[in-house]
Amino acid sequence: MLSEMIKEEFIQLRIDASDWEDAIRKSASPLLNGGKITAEYIDKIIETAQTSGPYIVVTKHVALPHAPTQFGALDLAMGITTLKTPIASGNKANDPVKYLFCMSAKDSETHLESMAELVNLLSDQKFYQVLDTAEKPMDILNYIIETE
Amino acid sequence: MHKALVACRAGVGSSLMLKIKTEQVIKENGFPIQVEHSSLDAVPGFDGDLLITLADVAKELETQGLKQTIIGINNIVDKIEIESKLSQFLNR
Repeated sequence: MLSEMIKEEFIQLRIDASDWEDAIRKSASPLLNGGKITAEYIDKIIETAQTSGPYIVVTKHVALPHAPTQFGALDLAMGITTLKTPIASGNKANDPVKYLFCMSAKDSETHLESMAELVNLLSDQKFYQVLDTAEKPMDILNYIIETE
Repeated sequence: MHKALVACRAGVGSSLMLKIKTEQVIKENGFPIQVEHSSLDAVPGFDGDLLITLADVAKELETQGLKQTIIGINNIVDKIEIESKLSQFLNR
């Protein structure tokens, strides 16, 4: 289940980011502090985004910062970061990015069900309202648990 | 039956989500397409006829002279975009 990948301390609300790289680094920092990824993993996300474009921007206003497993994904986890001011990533169809779901996975199969839940949430207008109006991280986590 | 590979750079996040959504669209429309997913590393060894990926990755693949048709999706939760691009492939 998606809620099992996300801890309360992995959720950050209305964060200030100076640019696209800063937004990625900030979205990844709770997973780094929580021992779910290495610093190399974050560098790999940024390096890939710099050399081959904003491949992690998946729908309007949403980015999914992640890198291949072998670059320091230590454990299955997902963080949620909302930005105070949306940031341009260079992805014309979906900019500006306002929500970042930084994730790490150790293989490509065990979190299939969780990713299906995330796809559904990203099609759910009410979820974006919750992201925008949440006063504390648990407001978002509770909504995810309710929809499971 | 066509064989499609959904591939993105890592093979664990966006490609997985894109595969889930693409399979929903295929099922709802009864499209004769079978889907697997992986990272871009699997592209050279893939023997099917369709590659599905995010739009910016598609642009890069298009420069590589691959034999497969390449579909780039901008918005992975937009079923209409996925449906129309798959229909276009099937009717070409």
